[in-house]
Amino acid sequence: MPLQFMAMAQNAVEPMQVDAPPEDNDNNEEPFYMVENPTLDLEAYANSYTSLAKLYRLIYVVDHCPSLRLEALKIAISYVMTTYNVNLYQVLHQRLSELTSNLNVPDVAAPSASQDVPLIDNMWVETRLKKSALKLEKLDNDLKNYKSNSIKESIRRGHDDLGDHYLDCGDLSNALKCYSRARDYCTSGKHVVNMCLNVIKVSVYLQNWSHVLSYVAKAEATPDFIETQAKDSNPLLFTKLRCAAGLAELATRKYKQAAKHFLQASLDHCDFPELLSPGNVATYGGLCALATFDRPELQKHVVNNGGFKPFLELEPALRDAILKFYESRYAACLKLLDEMKDSLLLDLYLAPHVPALYSQIRSRALVQYFSPYLSADLRRMAQAFGRTVPALEDELMKLILEGQIQARIDSHNKVLFARDADQRGATFERGLAVGREQRRRARMLVLRAAVLRSRLQVQSPPREQGEGAQQQMQPVTSARS
Amino acid sequence: MVVNNIDKLIEDLERQELEAPTGIASPQVYSQLLAIYLYQNDLCNAKFLWKRIPLTVKNTNPELGEIWKVGQHLWKSDFTATYASLNGFNWSETVSEIMRNVQDVVRQRAVDLISQAYSSITLDTVASMTGLSVDVCAAACLERGWRVEPDTKMVYPVRKVSEPVVQPSSEDQLYKLTDFVSFLEN
Amino acid sequence: MASALEQFVNTVRNLSSHGNFRELYEIITKSNEVLSKNVQHLDNVLETLDVQQHSLGVLAVLLAKFNSPNVSLPDNRFLQAQEFLTNCNIEQVRSAPDLFAEFCHLFTNYLVEQKQPIKGISLLKQALIRLKYVSKAQLTSIHADLCQLCLLAKCFKPALEILDVDIISICQEITHTNVTSPQFDAKYFLLYYYYGGKIYLALRNLDRALYFFEIALTTPAHAVSHIMLEAYKKYILVSLLLHGKVHGIPKYSAKVVGRFIKPLSLPYIDLASAFIINNTTELNNIITKHTEVFTRDHNMGLIKQVSQVLYKKNIQRLTKTFLTLSLTDVASRVGLPGPADAEKHILHMIENGKIYAAINQRDGMVVFRDEPDKYSGPQVLKTLEEELALCMELDNRILCMDEEIQVNPQYVKKTSGLQDDEQPSKSTYAM
Repeated sequence: MPLQFMAMAQNAVEPMQVDAPPEDNDNNEEPFYMVENPTLDLEAYANSYTSLAKLYRLIYVVDHCPSLRLEALKIAISYVMTTYNVNLYQVLHQRLSELTSNLNVPDVAAPSASQDVPLIDNMWVETRLKKSALKLEKLDNDLKNYKSNSIKESIRRGHDDLGDHYLDCGDLSNALKCYSRARDYCTSGKHVVNMCLNVIKVSVYLQNWSHVLSYVAKAEATPDFIETQAKDSNPLLFTKLRCAAGLAELATRKYKQAAKHFLQASLDHCDFPELLSPGNVATYGGLCALATFDRPELQKHVVNNGGFKPFLELEPALRDAILKFYESRYAACLKLLDEMKDSLLLDLYLAPHVPALYSQIRSRALVQYFSPYLSADLRRMAQAFGRTVPALEDELMKLILEGQIQARIDSHNKVLFARDADQRGATFERGLAVGREQRRRARMLVLRAAVLRSRLQVQSPPREQGEGAQQQMQPVTSARS
Repeated sequence: MVVNNIDKLIEDLERQELEAPTGIASPQVYSQLLAIYLYQNDLCNAKFLWKRIPLTVKNTNPELGEIWKVGQHLWKSDFTATYASLNGFNWSETVSEIMRNVQDVVRQRAVDLISQAYSSITLDTVASMTGLSVDVCAAACLERGWRVEPDTKMVYPVRKVSEPVVQPSSEDQLYKLTDFVSFLEN
Repeated sequence: MASALEQFVNTVRNLSSHGNFRELYEIITKSNEVLSKNVQHLDNVLETLDVQQHSLGVLAVLLAKFNSPNVSLPDNRFLQAQEFLTNCNIEQVRSAPDLFAEFCHLFTNYLVEQKQPIKGISLLKQALIRLKYVSKAQLTSIHADLCQLCLLAKCFKPALEILDVDIISICQEITHTNVTSPQFDAKYFLLYYYYGGKIYLALRNLDRALYFFEIALTTPAHAVSHIMLEAYKKYILVSLLLHGKVHGIPKYSAKVVGRFIKPLSLPYIDLASAFIINNTTELNNIITKHTEVFTRDHNMGLIKQVSQVLYKKNIQRLTKTFLTLSLTDVASRVGLPGPADAEKHILHMIENGKIYAAINQRDGMVVFRDEPDKYSGPQVLKTLEEELALCMELDNRILCMDEEIQVNPQYVKKTSGLQDDEQPSKSTYAM
């Protein structure tokens, strides 16, 4: 439901944005899966977010976790009633009624479950719609007044207010339009930055990641914002932009870039529940770093990064996993990661990337495990990675073929041997191959020169030409089998 | 000996086929040519020769079919069947010598392949790949310096080191090098 | 009537004895009508002419005879053609390349109709050699005839001597007053390279086959001919067999080729994508799905080879990752039915030098090794010397071509017409 909704909203792109490339959202092709035994404290989870961030995250849980479905719906409904998002209210109720009817039919003896299920309040819907329309009308009128008076600052605010209201109603495309229009009325760098932040927020909801990145860049390019100083002078803004950029990079699978962005965030200024929670920053940044950083990078930017440490304290399991990895205790690390996996799979933005990130982390661990050795016992290695030997062989085979590990497997004795690249042989081989290719091309060029000289051309009409040729060919092709 | 002058012979036979006034050569030409292609392990040309021999010639000369059977087994690298079909027919004088030689070269190839491809191999496999009886085979293996374990019937072949080609004279070598360098510099 | 023929004979004799072949050529191109009206007397005409001295005259008569729908019995055309091809005068015939080529096409068609293609192979080949087309590496449309005869006769070896020569020039077989018109029929060019590719394919010379198909594919074109399409299909399959991947259509091929040829060969492109990701199951699914298309294109044999080669390619990948592996594992990893099949494949690959390995029948294992000292010893030096010699030869040929261009009047005129400061330095053209 929300997917359709988002897709719909996404189609209505702001007219001034001509360069929006089609987004390759993972959600579109995301495989269907269910998390059966989550270790998620839903109440606390929901409390970390506001606005649509909260709702979208809850809906993601509804979609992917049967055991939390009811609770998530209830929290979402009670929250949506504080907004003007009537549409989503109705959608949520629809889901709820589907759920409760499903629950009740097979198990009539347990009606208690549905006891405190809220019922759809059509009165609320009606009054809410009315109020919303009234507010819209008022804001519209205000804006018209401001415009006729040509007070730039008021017009800008008017647009922003209107945008806020659309956002509250869940009308993302109109919200984006209003926020963007405010741009023409910005009188200071601060206003520009504010406009950028608004657009970024809506673009994140729309999952239009290239838009997010370009507005992060735009915000950073304003005269007020000079990165070197911003970190100290305007840390809140700095952290927010880093996190938005990180999220966009993560969503477009540029994990290393994502890690670098997240790792610059500062916990004391990480307060934007309409976007991300500090815990998210820790998880996203930590996992991306683990998957893409080499050992020195991991040490410098994660383990010894004073700014990021407090984030990691929020996610102790992840912190331990990173430390274990750093201490080369891969089995322990991988075990911790496995335990976290279920809750990560309930994360709207991270879930599509969990398999890729995990497999990169494993590969990295395997490569690092073997790097100091000339030979390694596969059985012990399998133990260290919690895998069977054949499964490990498969993994290693992939890494060897990709050139990530220079080694070969002795499957008979179950030993992995480092392999000296035969530079000399390879050079000979390459040299001869280049020579042969060169000769082939030269010969072909000589022929081509002759062809051009004789002005030979395959001519139209193709039909006659083709048929004539076909007749020529036919007896031969049919005679040979 | 036919095989000593095989290139000349093959050229001759190929010409006879191409210049046959009726477009059809004599059965002798076909059968010798087919057998020689097998001897040279030129299975592609053997296959197409078989395909182009007119049906009437094949029907009146069953020996042609027998020769090609050997070729088919060679095509599939089926050593056992190859020896069986080589020995299972009473070859006429036209091809008997060539067919005997076919057997020799096939066996030589098998032996080379074994020494190249196996670090240990059962005596039975060796026997079937060489077309010899197990006893003869064991003796032949020992003769080549391959270890034979009588209990397990395992043979441990020794990899043949390819003989170095005759070193050209250093003067010749130098001449060539000069040639290359002068080419590269111009 | 008879007087017209007499006049023809007299002209031929007269001009031939004076060595005035240019004029004679003009006359015989116009004598076709007279000759074809008197088919029944042509044998008498031939008797009055000498194959050596009056080659052009004989050529004209034979053209008329082969062109005529009425055959006078007994049909002596083969013998006459044989006599002409073996004994004609080289210079005379070389002065009429278009007529000679036309005669060869007619002769070829005649043999095809008679279902005796093998009888023409030696004659056409010897003619090409005698007329020095082979030693000058010049392509004629007769080349295509020869290949066609070889394919129909299933007799490929004789063609190799011709096919192995890399063409450096193309015979001018079409004369126009218009200098921008083609001088050679593209159909014969395409046929030569398509047939040639097929011959190399039959004899398992994949490298050369690929080269020939690529030439057919990149022929300058305003339209896509069926031959190019068929060449493209084979180009894909041979690339897979030889390199395990497909290079795109070369950039210098005609634009229409890029546009039209791919949509017309989708099953082949699907096949290639499955091959490239080493997916045996998917490959076999595609083969089953498109069997009809592949069979209709007469490519099923090649397709089966492609599917076999994928096993080998996968085994080769194993050699890169494993030192030892059990035969059972090899079989299961590359998707073969059992260890015996794996052993057979490995044995075959060792024999062909594709991999370096040792099978251990006692433990059912195979040990993959790096070839020791692959690039040491005199053998390598010899290879290098040979390769270098080939490069040098090619370089010399290109230098010669360059010199030819330098002294070409048209080129000199063009370059001297330029401003002095625009004059390109010599080195630009030296390659």
